[in-house]
Amino acid sequence: MFGYDKAALQQTIAAIIQNNITADAWAWLSRQGDIKSRAAFNAAFAMMPRKTGKAEISITPAQAQELDAIRKGFNIDGWTADRLCRVYLLLSADASDGERYLDVVENLFLAAEMNELVALYSALPVLAYPDFLVKRCAEGIRSNIGSVLEAIMYNNPYPAEYLPEAAWNQLIMKAIFTEKRLDLITGLNHRNNQELARILMDFARERGAAGRTVVPELWHLASPFTDAGIVNAVKQQYSTI
Amino acid sequence: MCCSHSFEDKPLPGQKPEAFDISAVKGMKFFDPHVHMTSRTTDDYQAMADAGVVALIEPAFWLGQPRTGIDSFRDYYSSLIGWERFRSSQFGIKHYCTIGLNSREANNEALAEQVMEILPLFVYKDGVVGVGEIGFDDQTAAEDKYYRLQLNLAKEAGLPVQVHTPHRDKKHGTQRSMDIALEHGLDPYSVIIDHNNEETVKEVLDRGFWAAFTIYPFTKMGNQRMVEVVKQYGSERIMINSAADWGISDPLAVPKTAALMKLNGISAEDIELVTYRNAITAFAQSGQIDEADFGVNIDQSAKFEGNSILRGGQQPRVDKSSIIIS
Repeated sequence: MFGYDKAALQQTIAAIIQNNITADAWAWLSRQGDIKSRAAFNAAFAMMPRKTGKAEISITPAQAQELDAIRKGFNIDGWTADRLCRVYLLLSADASDGERYLDVVENLFLAAEMNELVALYSALPVLAYPDFLVKRCAEGIRSNIGSVLEAIMYNNPYPAEYLPEAAWNQLIMKAIFTEKRLDLITGLNHRNNQELARILMDFARERGAAGRTVVPELWHLASPFTDAGIVNAVKQQYSTI
Repeated sequence: MCCSHSFEDKPLPGQKPEAFDISAVKGMKFFDPHVHMTSRTTDDYQAMADAGVVALIEPAFWLGQPRTGIDSFRDYYSSLIGWERFRSSQFGIKHYCTIGLNSREANNEALAEQVMEILPLFVYKDGVVGVGEIGFDDQTAAEDKYYRLQLNLAKEAGLPVQVHTPHRDKKHGTQRSMDIALEHGLDPYSVIIDHNNEETVKEVLDRGFWAAFTIYPFTKMGNQRMVEVVKQYGSERIMINSAADWGISDPLAVPKTAALMKLNGISAEDIELVTYRNAITAFAQSGQIDEADFGVNIDQSAKFEGNSILRGGQQPRVDKSSIIIS
């Protein structure tokens, strides 16, 4: 269902949360998560910042390593308290009834505000039934909200692990179009592919024709699958790079 | 749902108007507590930011085209807390909203019932500072019913209420809106009565409500009249807004009125209260407004790419005066 030791992850996150929010807020949060009462679950998800605040969490290097050991690539560096607590709330949901669970999750997406979307997409790598969330992830990449894109793109192991090639290539192109940092994308080199290289080279020619520049990482991604002579010829179009 | 244009209301050509000199309000901060940005362009966002608007409230309203299904309402509410909030952040303007079923569409009872079911999903969202804009348009029985139901919702959620007052039979409609709010046990200090004029303001203030004024050409308050209102009634519990929307309206109504007040000798303190502070005091009763968030780009990318040329998602500036578009 989860593909990692969920109980261990919950325990580690619980310890981090307790270091970062008030005892009252923790007492409240630890009572939430029953998806049989859907309205209460939705309300808890929505009102999270009111209970936990939005301060950036602090986490020890040991805790960060622990998270990575339990769920490879799961990284909460720079997260705010409400974001982490929303993910924790999702982890508290009983996933044994898959249909109900996925319906609850999808409904949260449908009525989510910006920060809720950030938390929801951040949760992709730790939610149950990850195979069923591929379309949702691809939909998120169509967003134009910067913080939402970053929640999917930056330090998130889910896309590299689950997206089919076409959706992955969209993610990379969207990141380039929206001027995101490619070096923060998990699996950037591992998922690099021939079709992406073709798209990138076409894109480079188009940018060249318009008198615009491209990010240097583009050549790095295109080169393994492209004749060096062609890369150099296209590069010539750019005087500034 | 702020204007019902009648083009018969066109002003007569009068004396040559004075140009708005933005430097008159340089360094001042403004809060526009009623503006429908969904209906506005990025040029408006840019102009508002340039004129000192640091935060705004977008009330849920009638989009001009009546909705025929619940999903249209759901997507509209979602866009107020999602896409529009992001769009605003790109210009450094903090975007809040109020959520409610507007009075016109309350008359579609079958749909109104469904809207009432989804409202609780949205009123507890972060950045939702009230239930609004609700109230009367035609003053029908259906409008009365859904106004009351939403007052109860606001009370339960601990949120202020933003009350639209009708264009037709305005004075009576305004009185009735207040009577019903009190009947439902709301504290008048948590209720903002909107679209006031010289005829309604006294009673609204006397009964302890907040009095909002919409500076909107042809159909609502002109800002010269507004200057006189502040001279007469002072600045306590009075706020102004633009209610700019899909009609001929002005998203710079708040800074322009501040400039006009300044030219007319109204004190800096009073100007600050009616163009900034009072709206915050009233809507911050929701617990959802933190002034520390103003002027901060809420796009998280600022944190990740502090040296980005777009400064964390802020929109690059376009030179509109140039014939060249690159």
